[in-house]
Amino acid sequence: MPRVAVLHSWRTAGRDALVALVVCAGVGSAVNALRPHGLAFVQRTEYQILVPCPEGTGEAPGMAADDPAVWETRTLLVDARSAAEHGRWHAPGSTNLPFDYLEPAPKAAVQRLAGSGAARVVVFGDGGDPDSGEQLARELAGAGIRNVFFVEGGAPRLQAAAAARGAR
Amino acid sequence: MSGFLACRAHAFFGLAARLYLGAIFLLACWHKLVDPAAFAVDIATYQILPLGLVNVMAIVLPWVELAAALMLILGFRTRGAALLIAGMMAMFCVAITIAVAKGLDMSCGCFASQGAAEDPISWRTIARDGGWLILALYVLVLDRTPLGLDRLWPRPSAQPPPLDASKEPS
Repeated sequence: MPRVAVLHSWRTAGRDALVALVVCAGVGSAVNALRPHGLAFVQRTEYQILVPCPEGTGEAPGMAADDPAVWETRTLLVDARSAAEHGRWHAPGSTNLPFDYLEPAPKAAVQRLAGSGAARVVVFGDGGDPDSGEQLARELAGAGIRNVFFVEGGAPRLQAAAAARGAR
Repeated sequence: MSGFLACRAHAFFGLAARLYLGAIFLLACWHKLVDPAAFAVDIATYQILPLGLVNVMAIVLPWVELAAALMLILGFRTRGAALLIAGMMAMFCVAITIAVAKGLDMSCGCFASQGAAEDPISWRTIARDGGWLILALYVLVLDRTPLGLDRLWPRPSAQPPPLDASKEPS
């Protein structure tokens, strides 16, 4: 009865594996108990998991705030600051996509930008060090969006440039 | 088909696969045995297991890897060892697939506890583990008379019967 024999051989392999598993559990537990700083068998507190921040992998050159290309109608301006900062002031026509140092930009938002048909995407952030605008621009470039730039100096410079343009 | 399955060369291919897998698992278990605390953090980083099982896994799994590797290399309870390796590889494949799908930027923790920058998980990691899973299944299914201690002390029930057994008069 070969089929029975085949089943039996699988059962034997399974039994061997189970025996090895049980022996290893016993040996592992014993060695752990004998270690000076053995692990608690059941962890009570959450582990501090260090997951690195997502970093933009693309190349995004900087652009001066008073560069005429920033203000062209075919340029899509993206505000990388928080919604609150965007509410206080934003460049006319800019769209808000807050940059998060811990979370990547939502895929839907990236796809919206990719399908916008703009000649270039110019991102401005808080102008700090690091600049959220530059970080988001690199992230967007890394996500496959072409012609992405960031405003050097971020929103403060852009606001000054907008005021200067308004005065002219 | 049965001719292929009964081919004696499987014992030699199986031996090569066993030595390779055994070496891989010996390498893989070393850092986990030396520093189970770091391995526990590696497991926790996957964010799959409940917290209560993380340390149990970190304590037991390296020893299972060590035992399975030695059993494969020595040819002792070979099919049981191959079953263990195949089970672990399937588990690793699922875990890494989930981590990659979640977009976790991390190392697999397979051969060292290190950062994502040194050895990030990717679809390539899954393909690599998938290859090892296939090798383990090869040993499990096709290496019916493994070269090693099992040949010195054979157990009648341990190996599948010869494939042409059905042709023999009962």
